[in-house]
Amino acid sequence: MTTAGTLGNVDVSDLSHTYAAKGQKSKALDSISLNVETGRFLSIVGPSGCGKSSLLMMLAGLIRPTSGSIRVGGRPMEGPDPSRIGVVFQEASLYPWLTAQSNVEFPLSLRGVDKKIRQARALEALALVGLEGFANSYPHELSGGMKQRVSIARGLVQDPPILLMDEPFAALDEQTRITMGDELLRIWDKTRKTVIFVTHGLSEAIYLSDEVIVLSGRPGRILDRVEVDLPRPRTLEMMSEPRFVALREQIWRQIKS
Amino acid sequence: MSIKRKAAIVRYLLVAGLVALWEILPRAGLVPELFLPPLTKTLLAAAGGAGDLAYHLGVTLQEILVSMIFACGGGIISGLVLGASLLARRLFLPLMSGLFAVPTVVLYPLFTAWFGIGAESKIVFASAYGFLPTLLGTAAGVQTIDRHLIVVARSMGATRFQQIARVYVPATIPTVLSSLRLGGALVIVGVVVAEMLTSTAGIGFLISKYRTLLDSPNVFAAILLVLALAIAFDLLVQLLERRTVGWRHAMRSGTAGYA
Repeated sequence: MTTAGTLGNVDVSDLSHTYAAKGQKSKALDSISLNVETGRFLSIVGPSGCGKSSLLMMLAGLIRPTSGSIRVGGRPMEGPDPSRIGVVFQEASLYPWLTAQSNVEFPLSLRGVDKKIRQARALEALALVGLEGFANSYPHELSGGMKQRVSIARGLVQDPPILLMDEPFAALDEQTRITMGDELLRIWDKTRKTVIFVTHGLSEAIYLSDEVIVLSGRPGRILDRVEVDLPRPRTLEMMSEPRFVALREQIWRQIKS
Repeated sequence: MSIKRKAAIVRYLLVAGLVALWEILPRAGLVPELFLPPLTKTLLAAAGGAGDLAYHLGVTLQEILVSMIFACGGGIISGLVLGASLLARRLFLPLMSGLFAVPTVVLYPLFTAWFGIGAESKIVFASAYGFLPTLLGTAAGVQTIDRHLIVVARSMGATRFQQIARVYVPATIPTVLSSLRLGGALVIVGVVVAEMLTSTAGIGFLISKYRTLLDSPNVFAAILLVLALAIAFDLLVQLLERRTVGWRHAMRSGTAGYA
């Protein structure tokens, strides 16, 4: 499950999005240009309503941008393509009538993958996220963190070069959120996918990422791209180091202004 | 003893008391036997006419079964389509809601004129009677589905058909079952009422016939049978509902998706 080369490249150029609400046109995103190289961990932060989730939905092919282009792995995105992009949503977006394993198998079964292969890949993905023993559990039998692990396994099961994550840990308690962050880094280290991670947690963004994109309030524009030059593996102690604190302040000042 | 047990005991005592009153009141002459024949007489009448009852029950059951296929099957399928498609909803839902207000029973004389007084008119009437509530219930249920579950399916590349078959349908099962419960009960009412109005066979026909003959024990025997039928149907749907209870609870408490 390793991604090399340029398959995981994301190139966004001059992307704008305007939508009509109550008869009025409202600009959500304004000329966003962005390049992400394969295997990088990138976070997007910004004030609420800045369009960071919309940006992610466009990258996932779920919303059509008003103008501009998105190329993934060198090819334009024309709609959802789970073989190129896996999406992990906020809170558990699992189907409550399916077991953990069937939830992970779901994208494969949509494509008519053979049952045996489906099972093998789902179990492999569940093992990767540390849920070997829970294949037959239903979502309502799992904790919030475990549900998000299943969602991540589902996002990874087709082995896409890119994983998009829309505030995946926002609904979890702080302790679980930190554990899940470390888990995500472990999985990322093992698979080397490109990860684009939307969050409103600045510390979380810095802790996880190689680079943090700071968006302005509506309409969302890129205010800054902050390179996180902290060594890996990241540790909790780093969060109190001067470099971490300085990065956090730099980002916070821009969002505030 | 827990409150639950106590309540259950009181409930059984109440039923036992009613059954006892049913026997005692007419026997004591407090209620004319024409209005309420004693329970034992009713049961004896039922036993005496068992063959006859069985035949008419068969007729009624057949009519109910066919009507349920039309009313519940048709109602659920159209409800799914209407709930899932904004265009279909805009086009038909106001019409359906309007039709719902029409008392279907006034159409029954027309149905007998068109389809005769045999099983066909009962089936048409009961189907029409149960169809709209089933449709409206299902359509309303589909609209309460967490839209997020569809977005997730789209992100995984689900086609429109797959979204309906793999997400809408399972997500609506709880709604479908409660619509089935309602529609099925209405179908039973529809068939029996239609039989009572104009017919040549069925439990409703028996009730009507014995009533004109002032044969109260047999009227009550037939009523008991209808009651048993309705209860049996309800238990059957409850049994189905219990199998989905786990994830139905999960959906209600909102763990299925986010805002």
